Amino acid sequence: MTTSAAAKRALAMHRRLMTFGEAESTVAQPWVEESTTVRAVEAHLAQLWTEQAPSGDPTFTEKGLHHARASVLNLIVMVPDEEAAARVVETMGGLGVRHPSRAIVLAADPAADGPPLSASITAHCNVGQEGSEQVCYEVVVLTVRGEAAEHLAGVVAPLLIHDLPTHVWWPGDPPFTDPIFDQLVEMGDRLVVDSSEFEDLLRGLRRLTTLRRRSGVGDLAWARLGWWQELTAEFFDGPRFRRYLPNLNRLTVRYAVAPAHRRPGRPRKPPPGQPHVRSTLVGPMLYAGWIASRLEWRRHATRQPLDDGRLQLTLEGRHEMVDLRIEPVETETVPPGELTEVRLRSYGETGAAEFIIGRATDEAIVCSNADGMTAMLRTVPMELPTESELLADDLVSDRHDPVYEAALRAAAVFLASARELELTG
Amino acid sequence: MTRRSTAVEEPVAPAARDGDAIPTHRNPLRAGLRHGRMPEPCTMVIVGATGDLTERKLGPALYNLMLGGALPPEFTVVGFARRDLSDKEFRDHLREGIDLYSRNRPAKASIWESFSAGIEYQRGEFHHEEAWAALAKRLDRIDRDRGTAGNRLFYLAVPPNLHAEIVRQIAAAGLSGHHGDEHRRNRGWARVIVEKPFGFDLASARRLNRELRDVFDEDQIFRIDHYLGKETVQNLSVFRFGNGLFEPIWNRRYIDSVQITVAETVGVEGRGESYDETGALRDIVQNHVLQLMAVFAMEPPIEFKASDLRDEKVKVLRAVKPMSPAEVAEATIRGQYVSGWVEGTQVPSYRDEPEVPPNSERETYVALRLAIESWRWAGVPFYVRTGKALATRVTEIAVQFKQAPLALFSRAGAGATEPNILAIRVQPDEGILLRFGAKVPGPGLQIRGVNMDFRYGSSFAVDSPDAYETLLLDCMIGDASLFTRNDEVERAWEILDPILAAWASGEGGRLHFYPAGSWGPAAADELLERDGREWRKP
Repeated sequence: MTTSAAAKRALAMHRRLMTFGEAESTVAQPWVEESTTVRAVEAHLAQLWTEQAPSGDPTFTEKGLHHARASVLNLIVMVPDEEAAARVVETMGGLGVRHPSRAIVLAADPAADGPPLSASITAHCNVGQEGSEQVCYEVVVLTVRGEAAEHLAGVVAPLLIHDLPTHVWWPGDPPFTDPIFDQLVEMGDRLVVDSSEFEDLLRGLRRLTTLRRRSGVGDLAWARLGWWQELTAEFFDGPRFRRYLPNLNRLTVRYAVAPAHRRPGRPRKPPPGQPHVRSTLVGPMLYAGWIASRLEWRRHATRQPLDDGRLQLTLEGRHEMVDLRIEPVETETVPPGELTEVRLRSYGETGAAEFIIGRATDEAIVCSNADGMTAMLRTVPMELPTESELLADDLVSDRHDPVYEAALRAAAVFLASARELELTG
Repeated sequence: MTRRSTAVEEPVAPAARDGDAIPTHRNPLRAGLRHGRMPEPCTMVIVGATGDLTERKLGPALYNLMLGGALPPEFTVVGFARRDLSDKEFRDHLREGIDLYSRNRPAKASIWESFSAGIEYQRGEFHHEEAWAALAKRLDRIDRDRGTAGNRLFYLAVPPNLHAEIVRQIAAAGLSGHHGDEHRRNRGWARVIVEKPFGFDLASARRLNRELRDVFDEDQIFRIDHYLGKETVQNLSVFRFGNGLFEPIWNRRYIDSVQITVAETVGVEGRGESYDETGALRDIVQNHVLQLMAVFAMEPPIEFKASDLRDEKVKVLRAVKPMSPAEVAEATIRGQYVSGWVEGTQVPSYRDEPEVPPNSERETYVALRLAIESWRWAGVPFYVRTGKALATRVTEIAVQFKQAPLALFSRAGAGATEPNILAIRVQPDEGILLRFGAKVPGPGLQIRGVNMDFRYGSSFAVDSPDAYETLLLDCMIGDASLFTRNDEVERAWEILDPILAAWASGEGGRLHFYPAGSWGPAAADELLERDGREWRKP
């Protein structure tokens, strides 16, 4: 019997995912079945936490698991390929105590042959901080092949812990038009993506604006902007500088791209635990969309269409016309797609004012130049959050973020107008 | 606080709280950010800055707040103490504390350098006017240079006997904010944080409050009780008022009795001298226990904000009637530990501890039966106990519900007659436990008590913040929900003074002894047995 390439691929991916079982926190022997049924998986999960230890200690199960099992949420992770599988392993390992109670990692390949369902279950208990109790959770890895892969809802639904919210994390570039995508997203209350991994950014952003989820959409690319937003808002907390806010007339956002000699050919593999950034432009676009939507700026004209990562638009502010510039900066000190500098310029009664945040590796320099003097040159931490940290934060969230949704719409509009000209002219 | 008027729907933040945080609706960029509440620029003056508290708690708390982006960039710290230190030496002192005790440690060089540019030191004797004048001058300069807008927060990290002199000097130097000084009204706010103990008895508490009030308005005074912290008060309030299920049964019709336990396993551990002046009643009951009881028993506040919360808490305390000497003898037990074993180590008798007089009559344990004479709680006894060198370390409130009216299953085992218990555990492992009877599977009809156990730690995948960080930030924002108001403090002493007096005169019953590592003196068990009840062993 010849094994098809698809089956080989599926097998390799499954092995990758199995490395969960080798994590240090594992306390029960992994349960691995090359060919199994949903019912068998369900039965194994049910007894994992119920049977009492032979020693008779009622606080432990026979698998040596402590009964303090977390009841926080279900997480479904869709893994499209082996690269993504490796990343999922890395990222989920870093979630620590903020791990979902049950994670179901799914690899589906309708083209593969072999057994329709392979499964492995590992249970983990996290030793928390001193004095705090252990909190336990389990990871279920499923590889679904053949026709069953087109009906994933029926495979996953019985395996969720009932009455807990369910998040769906789709690393990579989700197949927005694939029925499997709709099926899985329907099962969850919240979809988590990373828009910096979208191949076609404009299409992806547009699709996100139309997705209506009960508890919103989480975008790790947006979460990465958190520190930039805090630092920007901080300028205008006090009345002294807040009066400059309505009169902003220029916003410059610079972002990192790999140096030119690195770019041609195949993209480099991302460092472990970091996303595979395909759209470096998403960070600056979302940041600009955020400022614009908060300050009610509208698109007015395209000054310079998108070219080599650079674009310039004129926006109509409430009092001033605003010059929006987005510029790439070649650097190796900051990963591609991260912001490197933001400048907000305004005119006040006493002349021009500028508010600047500049980043150098894991720190930022913040300063303002207003009222005729440079003030408050500060160094603040700006560590690059890992994907685990971003995901962990998002898993705690279960609501719509209207600020994100408005920024997303504005970013899509800006990008479309910069690209339309690029395409037509 | 007026409703925000942003076009965007606000994320559910602790809305409608007191205080003069910068209204976020004036900064449209604030909406939806992690720090929805940002304190105004201010200077924090730590009076007595060279002590242990600054090194262990305040320095690390401020550093972590800064790292988390919760402090405004203008924020400045001025250490004020007698010791002769330069700015640099004081900064180094703070940094050592951070390197040792901060949850983010060690301090990172470049970040620390930038943060410590806003840390200064003022040397001075607390009773020297010139020292305070120099401090005032420095604060004015900081306002100009760093834009702190005349907002000052004084943290009194000194023993209470110095409070009066310090606040008098603060006023004399013109640093007390708007109180009685109209032309300063637009020059920013002044607030003062004081630590417990809030007095030694009613008279001293009143004197202390009067001295503070001579200089500050009540809304400028923040009495810190870090023990309760933020989480407990809010968890209890949410449990009661955020659910439709519990409040209807939270009264004398359904509740039989309530037990509040604050048990420590440690002895006095080197604090012999000061503990012997204080004792368990003043140390724990006056603040922690009565605060827990008040939050547990209060009526729903009109809004979840400081003034309403504290109004309701003080109403509970006012409904606890002070006891006569005879009632003290009947409803209180005081105990002192003798040598025993705690957690596998031998603990000497209290009277053998260093600095404790060999004939000390000081209580290290107290059990009380309190009554809240209100429509909701009339006839429901509140049994309260606290002590040192007890069997386990636990703080909990346990509610015992009334029995089912008819004993249908009287022959079905002990569980059939066991009352339902709802236990709210504050520490360790904060959580809520409900105990009820369930049928043992099998052919017969056997009932056994089972626990339904909820723990915050396993249901929310987040860490609780450090109490000092929350409390300092709340104070800068001006939110006093978690601080104690003067009328609460004084009422607590009105309840406890008669007990202390009756004990001192001998009319309030004798001192009982209990071995370290036990659950207290046998007399405390008899206190409940007389009522047909028994203490829980949590």
